[in-house]
Amino acid sequence: MLGIVIDDSKAMRKILRKFLEGLDFSVLEAGNGREALEVLDSADSVPELALIDWNMPEMNGLEFVVEARKRPEWRNMTLVMVTTESEHSQIVRALASGAHEYVIKPFTKDGMIDKLALLGLVPVGVLS
Amino acid sequence: MTDEVLPTSDDLDNIAEQVWSAFLADGHEAVVDGAEPVDLDADLAASVAIVGAFDGHVVVTSSRDGSREVASALFEMSADELSADEVGDALGELANVLGGNVKSMLPAPSTMSLPRIASAAHGHWPGTVELCRTVVAWRGNQFILILLSSRQQDRLERVVA
Repeated sequence: MLGIVIDDSKAMRKILRKFLEGLDFSVLEAGNGREALEVLDSADSVPELALIDWNMPEMNGLEFVVEARKRPEWRNMTLVMVTTESEHSQIVRALASGAHEYVIKPFTKDGMIDKLALLGLVPVGVLS
Repeated sequence: MTDEVLPTSDDLDNIAEQVWSAFLADGHEAVVDGAEPVDLDADLAASVAIVGAFDGHVVVTSSRDGSREVASALFEMSADELSADEVGDALGELANVLGGNVKSMLPAPSTMSLPRIASAAHGHWPGTVELCRTVVAWRGNQFILILLSSRQQDRLERVVA
């Protein structure tokens, strides 16, 4: 499986990369939405999963979701917002724009795995 | 006039405990507000601005060593191997996560800025008043988490006028 981590924090990208690699994902990285579009355009295959921060320079996570949903070739990429943005209206906005799931920082490894299991991206019970 | 319920120091304690345990869990327990604040020799201040129904800032300050310990934990590297950019990135992400959780307790709607890192000597937020703070002791360092309000200052100025 292939995933992409989109976050302007190098530290957060490292944390999420390590988390996904622990689940046998190969991982691409981008520092904002604009860079993510470029990385995806030049990638050999479409990731099954994108973990997307909201607040980023140049192109934020919501703008990236809107752009990604315009690309039919990326329709099978599951979009998960991983962000500190927790206002209900913002969560609804992200989901209405095409995000599949929403994870609020700080997240726990177990909580994140539960979300990915619900999305069918890791086997249920992978923790046990 | 609407009575706003704003976060207290107890709320900051809870947020800090939650963030340190989820984000910086490394076997070193964080003691939140359990230590008398020392005269912290703060070198770095990371902050996020909140604008909207609430106007203010969430600030976290620490010493250079404390900031390097945060970066060391997040990057899983020895403190000696870290660049200044990595230290700033890590403290900024800590402020981002703390700020986002504080924002969830503030009047909505509001937006939060990207983190800003400054030397503590330049970490001033004119026209603000401190609403509450907490102190976190972790890995032998102290971190101060502060919520500043701009609007409160406006109100005080109006009352004085």
